[in-house]
Amino acid sequence: MLAADRIWDNGDRAATSSSSIFLDKVEKTYGGPAGVRAVAPITVELPAGEAVSIVGPSGCGKSTLMRLIAGLDAPTGGRIRIGSRAVTGPVPDIGIVFQRDLLLEWRRVLGNVMLPAEIKGLGGLQERARELLAELDIASFADAYPWQLSGGMRQRVAIARALLPRPKLLFLDEPFSALDALTRDQMNVLLQRLQTSQGVTTLMITHSISEAIFCADRVLVMSGRPGCVLDDIRVPFERPRRLAVRETPAFAAIGRRIREHFEKAGVLVG
Amino acid sequence: MIAGVLWPLLSGLIGLALWEGLVRAFHVPMFLLPAPSQIVLTIVQQGPYLMTQLGITMVAAGLGLVMSVALGLAAGAAIASSRLVDRMLTPWLVIAHAIPKVVIAPLFLVWFGFGLQSEMFFVVAFTFFPVIVNTVTGLKSADPEQLLMVRAMGATPRQVLHKIQFPSALASICAGIKLAVTLAPVGAVIGEFVASNAGLGHLLIRAVGDMDTPLAFAAVTVFSIFGVLLWRAAEWVERRVLPWHPSQRDTFLLRDANT
Repeated sequence: MLAADRIWDNGDRAATSSSSIFLDKVEKTYGGPAGVRAVAPITVELPAGEAVSIVGPSGCGKSTLMRLIAGLDAPTGGRIRIGSRAVTGPVPDIGIVFQRDLLLEWRRVLGNVMLPAEIKGLGGLQERARELLAELDIASFADAYPWQLSGGMRQRVAIARALLPRPKLLFLDEPFSALDALTRDQMNVLLQRLQTSQGVTTLMITHSISEAIFCADRVLVMSGRPGCVLDDIRVPFERPRRLAVRETPAFAAIGRRIREHFEKAGVLVG
Repeated sequence: MIAGVLWPLLSGLIGLALWEGLVRAFHVPMFLLPAPSQIVLTIVQQGPYLMTQLGITMVAAGLGLVMSVALGLAAGAAIASSRLVDRMLTPWLVIAHAIPKVVIAPLFLVWFGFGLQSEMFFVVAFTFFPVIVNTVTGLKSADPEQLLMVRAMGATPRQVLHKIQFPSALASICAGIKLAVTLAPVGAVIGEFVASNAGLGHLLIRAVGDMDTPLAFAAVTVFSIFGVLLWRAAEWVERRVLPWHPSQRDTFLLRDANT
């Protein structure tokens, strides 16, 4: 309890960095008091500018946690704050990339990327949309329909769409889990590049241990149902990272540490 | 490619030749069954007259169709967006659709008088159902995750309807309108049977009464050809409206198996 209050107070002092995330004893139960507990009380602070991964098995409440932080769902207990503002409804300053790309089939690529600008009524972002497509190496597909693209390209469009209104936070909910292994590696490198060039704080949910480490400065290990944080690991590798970093002993050591948590929890049986 | 045109054409020609031959061989009287050549001759001779009557029928069908589509879209949107409206309105619509329209056609004469107005409302009664049903289905079939996504972007209910629900529903709405397009002229002709002194429906009744069977066949032929053209026009419009839709793609790409 004391720790939780301390984090909450720290938040007040650090309110100037408006995209720091503070969770104070946040929990979520579905279907009334006797229902299924998806998220156990979680208290954690995610400072602005940090790339955080949450790794855990399916059904451990990771996605629920992300929805709670984005204000798409209300917690049944505890408080969430982004910067100095309490989260009570959808937070406008977050770009979200979902597992499915959710591209609108009736719009061309550029039209899909422009969607958030139209909804928020922001003008003059056409140029930025083209720049983002160029940065994601799909500039030549601006006028294509989504069905003409491969799965990896579609997800790039989804990332460009999320980044268009210059959000302070980028949430990725298992963004690459539908892609093949090679495309996935490529997307990890790309995400690296964007984290630096766009200066965006990212929170990524994944169940790939190596992806979680590679794309983050900090990995939160979640397990169980109700989901709770088992470990909080710093990732020391400097950026930009190359895929080869995954073969270093230090990387392997972090991977082992995470795997052991899952083995202890009975999620992975070695 | 050629076989796709050749065989149906050949089949049609054989059928017509058989018809022509049998009528001539057995000296079937013209008032019973005219030969195809006689029907073509009648169409050519009575061309302007037939076209005028067709025009009258199509004006009624067109006006009725426009009203029906407007009504269908509005009612469909209301039903799709409110459970209460759905529960209150849908039973009425189902009952209204279950009523045999042809039987109550004379009532339209009583309610709306003789002529265009009566015909128009009859067309509406004949065509509203597929438009409403397909609009409701389409609006309700929007991807829930896409809805969540735009909600996260801060979309208003109006924007959700405009940016996601309506475009998602468009293919389904087109299917409903295409059905209505083919039903509308039929509705107009039935309307003319009872409540008009002009149009193809009226012409048919009169031709049959006068034992002018070739004229009746000519009217039916003109009507059918026009019906097919109307269908093709609806398909053409659909292709323009839904260029992205799977049904309109002429190339099928095998993309990554995992998407």
